[in-house]
Amino acid sequence: MKKELIELRINGRTYELAVEPSTLLLDALRQDLGMTGSKRGCDDSSCGACTVLIDGTAMLSCTLLAASVQGREVTTIEGVTEHGSLASIQKSYGEWGGAQCGYCTPGFIMTVKSLLAENENPTEEEIRSALSSNLCRCTGYLQMYQAIKAAIEAERVGMAAVKE
Amino acid sequence: MSLPEFKLLRPRTVTEAMETLAGHSGNIRVLAGGTDLIPSMRQKLFEPEYVLDLRGVAELAGIYRSESGVIIGALTTLRAIEKSPILREQYPVLTEAAATVASPVLRNMGTIGGNICLDTRCLWYNQSLTWRKGCGFCIKKDGDLCHVAPGGTKCWAAFSGDTPPALLCLGAEIEMVSPAGARRIPLHEFYTGLGDNYRKLKSDEIVARVFLPACSAGYRGVYRKLRVRGSIDYPLAGVAVAIKRSNGHVADARVAITAVNPAPVLVSGATDALNGKAIDESIAEAVGDLAAKTAKPLTTSALTPEYRREMIRVFTKRAVLAAAAN
Amino acid sequence: MNNGFSIIGKPTAMVDAAEKTTGAGKYTDDFSLPGMLIGKILHSPYPHARLKSIDTSRAEKLDGVVAVVVGKDAPKTYGILPVGHDEYPLALDKVRYVGDNVACVVAVSEAIAEKALELIDVDYEVLPAYFDPEESMKAEKDLIHDHKAHNIEKDYHHAFGDPELGFAEADQIAEARFIANEVTHAAMEPHSTLASFEIDPHTGKPGRLIVWSSTQVPYYLQHKLSLVLEMPMQQIRVIKPLVGGGFGGKSEVIPLEIIAAVAARKAKAPVKITYTREEVFWAHRGRPRTIIDLKTGVKADGRITAVKARVVQDGGGYCSYGVVTILYSGALLGALYDIPNIQYDGYRVLTNKPACGAMRGHGTVNVRFAFESQLDELAAKVGMDAAEIRQRNLLKPPCITVNGLRVQSYGLPECIEKTVERSGWKQRKGKLPRGRGLGIACSHYVSGAANSIIRSDMPHSTVNIKIDRDGGVVVYTGASEIGQGSDTMTAQIAAEALGCSLSRVRVIAADTDLTPIDIGSYSSRVTFMAGNATLRAANEVKKLIAAAAAKKMNCAVEELVFRDDRVLKNGGTEKNAGEGGSAAKSQATQSQATQAHAAQSEASVSGRVEGQILRGSLQQKRKDEGPKDALTFEEAVVAAIDFHGALTGTGSYAPPPEARGGKHKGGGVGPSPAYSYSAQVAEVSVDEDTGEVTVHKVWAAHDCGRALNPVSVEGQIIGSVWMGMGQALTEEMVWKDGMLMNPGLLEYRSPSSVESPEIEPIIVESIDPEGPFGAKECSEGSLAATIPAIANAIYDAVGVRLHESPFTPERVLAALRAKKNAKSLNLTEGVDPTQPARFREHGGALWFKNKGPIRHRADQPANSTSIGGAD
Repeated sequence: MKKELIELRINGRTYELAVEPSTLLLDALRQDLGMTGSKRGCDDSSCGACTVLIDGTAMLSCTLLAASVQGREVTTIEGVTEHGSLASIQKSYGEWGGAQCGYCTPGFIMTVKSLLAENENPTEEEIRSALSSNLCRCTGYLQMYQAIKAAIEAERVGMAAVKE
Repeated sequence: MSLPEFKLLRPRTVTEAMETLAGHSGNIRVLAGGTDLIPSMRQKLFEPEYVLDLRGVAELAGIYRSESGVIIGALTTLRAIEKSPILREQYPVLTEAAATVASPVLRNMGTIGGNICLDTRCLWYNQSLTWRKGCGFCIKKDGDLCHVAPGGTKCWAAFSGDTPPALLCLGAEIEMVSPAGARRIPLHEFYTGLGDNYRKLKSDEIVARVFLPACSAGYRGVYRKLRVRGSIDYPLAGVAVAIKRSNGHVADARVAITAVNPAPVLVSGATDALNGKAIDESIAEAVGDLAAKTAKPLTTSALTPEYRREMIRVFTKRAVLAAAAN
Repeated sequence: MNNGFSIIGKPTAMVDAAEKTTGAGKYTDDFSLPGMLIGKILHSPYPHARLKSIDTSRAEKLDGVVAVVVGKDAPKTYGILPVGHDEYPLALDKVRYVGDNVACVVAVSEAIAEKALELIDVDYEVLPAYFDPEESMKAEKDLIHDHKAHNIEKDYHHAFGDPELGFAEADQIAEARFIANEVTHAAMEPHSTLASFEIDPHTGKPGRLIVWSSTQVPYYLQHKLSLVLEMPMQQIRVIKPLVGGGFGGKSEVIPLEIIAAVAARKAKAPVKITYTREEVFWAHRGRPRTIIDLKTGVKADGRITAVKARVVQDGGGYCSYGVVTILYSGALLGALYDIPNIQYDGYRVLTNKPACGAMRGHGTVNVRFAFESQLDELAAKVGMDAAEIRQRNLLKPPCITVNGLRVQSYGLPECIEKTVERSGWKQRKGKLPRGRGLGIACSHYVSGAANSIIRSDMPHSTVNIKIDRDGGVVVYTGASEIGQGSDTMTAQIAAEALGCSLSRVRVIAADTDLTPIDIGSYSSRVTFMAGNATLRAANEVKKLIAAAAAKKMNCAVEELVFRDDRVLKNGGTEKNAGEGGSAAKSQATQSQATQAHAAQSEASVSGRVEGQILRGSLQQKRKDEGPKDALTFEEAVVAAIDFHGALTGTGSYAPPPEARGGKHKGGGVGPSPAYSYSAQVAEVSVDEDTGEVTVHKVWAAHDCGRALNPVSVEGQIIGSVWMGMGQALTEEMVWKDGMLMNPGLLEYRSPSSVESPEIEPIIVESIDPEGPFGAKECSEGSLAATIPAIANAIYDAVGVRLHESPFTPERVLAALRAKKNAKSLNLTEGVDPTQPARFREHGGALWFKNKGPIRHRADQPANSTSIGGAD
């Protein structure tokens, strides 16, 4: 099928690329743009390893056509670090064992980003429920909860420091 | 697994969408949230020439109050429905059902229209092309056999949407638009009861709006779903119950089930069994029996039909009791 | 947890954590090369068939297709075990399961390759197939492999002690059949391999082969590639990038790894193959469906007198690790409890399904489920508490078990004690409301196999360390990081031994060109074996540094202590024993204040010399400071390099002969230099109307010898328990006549966060005499106890004993109904794979009626007799 030129906003930058109409956003990111942080783990939209934010809302990039998200703001795992340093959620995932093999981690980080954007101080129950979109085979999820709580705390302390 | 090739059409308005449909009706699929269609296309269950992507049609999304009730645009996400204060207050059974669909991220994508139009599911159908070749193609796609009921000629693929039973309980109507105009039907008339041609949607039609009548507002509602995991899974059996009470008695009630028939169905007799009664264990149990009788599960999913029917009985009883206690 | 170490025992973020949390880290599928092509594999639609012919001409003509590879392109057998070389990369004469590999298309894109697969015409002669192992064992003809009579891959018959006498002495005997259904790893990363040939500059022809692959065993892969491609091993370089989980599924050579290389050779271009999730399920190598007929006898005081187990494993179409699996199932009946008499009859049976192999807790898990369930029943029979009966049967180490396993460190008593205490077992057991219950179970696992699957005297792990003038420590290890923390463990051990900071250590791992041989990440061997090799390599280098430093400091080598990036004379204060490798003793004496001071002054020194080779300035600094009783790490390194040149050290590990097991046939599998131990209590509730089981909490105590990195150890314990819970409740590969009904993550139900329970990991440290800093394995041993702990808790909650896993709601409800003798519902009908005749009533594939698959409309009709006649 003939390729078409599309324009995507990704992590605050604009990219022009030629894709087939059937190209999935995940493949455009990974193959056309070399942003391989988003992962493919399944073929039936069940695992969440490819999760990205579309206008701030978590969605599966393996279930979106690249052409469909023109005009929307796409955030991928590559857009999460802050000024070249780890965001607090990334740092605490490392410290608390939230990532083992790491394959599902980018998807989880995106899911957590969208959770925390919506709800600054979620309960454990809310965290548990929000994380249920993504599958992890290593951690049993528990150390992720600790990591998320630690990141929230780090943000809170950080904000307090800024205010002072 | 790549998607089959197709041409993508991206209208911005309903009018544009209708013009596109008029021009390309034939081998076309309508794409909304994509959570059902995209994986199915990967499995080559659909190989359309055109895909009509409705995502850009803003007028199809949103929840509005009207004099006659509440109108929900077909493109409204299940997440928006789950979060809507009006719906939570007025039509809680829909809120409950929407909140159980798949997973939070999938609800960010999936739409109410898509959930209504959800393709029927079967273990012998929702498989890759390679798999289906190995097994032998079935009635629903490319073949003329049924693996679920060998020798039969009917397709038993199960309708597995969570919100339609809730909508049935609420007496919802849907509006479909085509280049020829709009038509509005009660939701229960939308489904055929067949696993293969499961809905009455013409090839140039789209579901545009869902109407929740004012007379169903305020019904207490409960949705109970059998699934193996607490998230991600499609229902293996589901029950919606909506009850209106006055003076401790049931003034009106409806019970609908899903995932155990080729269509979501209202349990006939449930209304009669409940109306005018003060709900107790034995009444709830009787309604459970009615629901189990209505359920016709076959081996379309991982759990056995016997078990799923039994769970319809148990879940209905529990949902009726919970709705009464609400 | 301060044991006087600087690094060991401290919670440490993984050295590759940032790569993983930023998405910057590369897994195999994240790589691409210029001119790279995509390979797609054609799989067999039949469970058992002879390949009569393959016609690839139509596929080859498709625009964008570069090559089509078939069995003839590499007609060599391989297999992970030397006794099991029964696989071809692509089928040569026969296919043995639905999903077996038939051909591979190499094309410029995935879509074109997929299209070309539809154009390959294969003519099969369908053969009768075997799906149930007990049926398969009766086979006289149409054998799956011609040389395997009755489709039995291997059977073993062991008797230790006098089992008959043991049963005669028993006061109570329990006997039952247990079935554990098939589960798979479902690692989040689908297998992927990228293969590329370098052009030889001298011959101008394709020369060396470079392979990037998601593997747990790069050296085995190099070896098997060499066999099949008929190339010398030194012409093959295998690189293991980040691996997205293994759990055993990548612990042997998987077909795509060889196919990609053969395809790259034929296509004369780099080829990448990444499995679809469905293909991952077909590649499988998971835990076999296991039928266990178990008989156990106990005395009235709870002492076990004898165990007799007949185990039948449904191994699938190829050997894989099967011979090892069936041996582990018997061998690991020992080494947990003191059992004087054991009879074991194990059968590894071939069936027409994907090959089973090694999966987390390899071989022990299913038998442990049966054994611990039965022990619970026996405790009830003799009127004893379930925790107490386990305490009655403890080993008394150091000892050699009746089946020849050497046990040294043994933390099981403490594991039981701690879980019992933390879970409130004594106060709560039997006192919870109806429908809620507690169950206890124990398990253990090897810290690496004492005997390598390749029979040789080669060390199992070798590690090189290099330190150059920049003061950076580079550790070269063949051990494979697969998410378990292997690289971090390596860095920690090197840093602790050298007394340097973790940030100074770089780990170069699992690249056959750069790193010395390590046999791979499986059987929980890495911490024990690669860890010991790292420690030895570090001590080698340390000797060189110490000699030079002692000279500079005008003291004896024995007086030096390496700590916190400093080399200290007399350890700062006291005289030390000065054992080369025993960092623990010499460092325990230092006060916190000295440490803090040392760290501070180190920071100012290294701040000035960081990244530079400023010998002059160092010497100047030394003069300024006068006589030395301490050197910075850089100063000591530079002094040693001035003398030796760049510093290198090599350490290797081979298990000691005493740990290598008994002399009986098959006695080589099971022995390990050390065993980990686990005791768990699970708390569950059971919905008696639906049969749904909810696990509320699991207390899991695990004896890992020493926790090198507690956050990782806890992660491994939690992960094991969680995976065990998946097998106990939701995970099952469902088969209908050789078709896998749930080849995807939507239908193969790996638990989501919602139903995942709280797990309280409890670390028990028995300090193994041979482990590195006393460490043993922590990644597998806990899995096996979870399943019986849950089963026993279900029994406690509602009084039904589940004999078949997973304990799905329908199985639990069926058991409840059977117990109540209520209106019987035959709920397991139709999902019971032992009754193939019955599935057919409930539907199933049609090939068995000799109808064959109906052609897709995209296919050209091969002849006019196609059935179904849709078109």
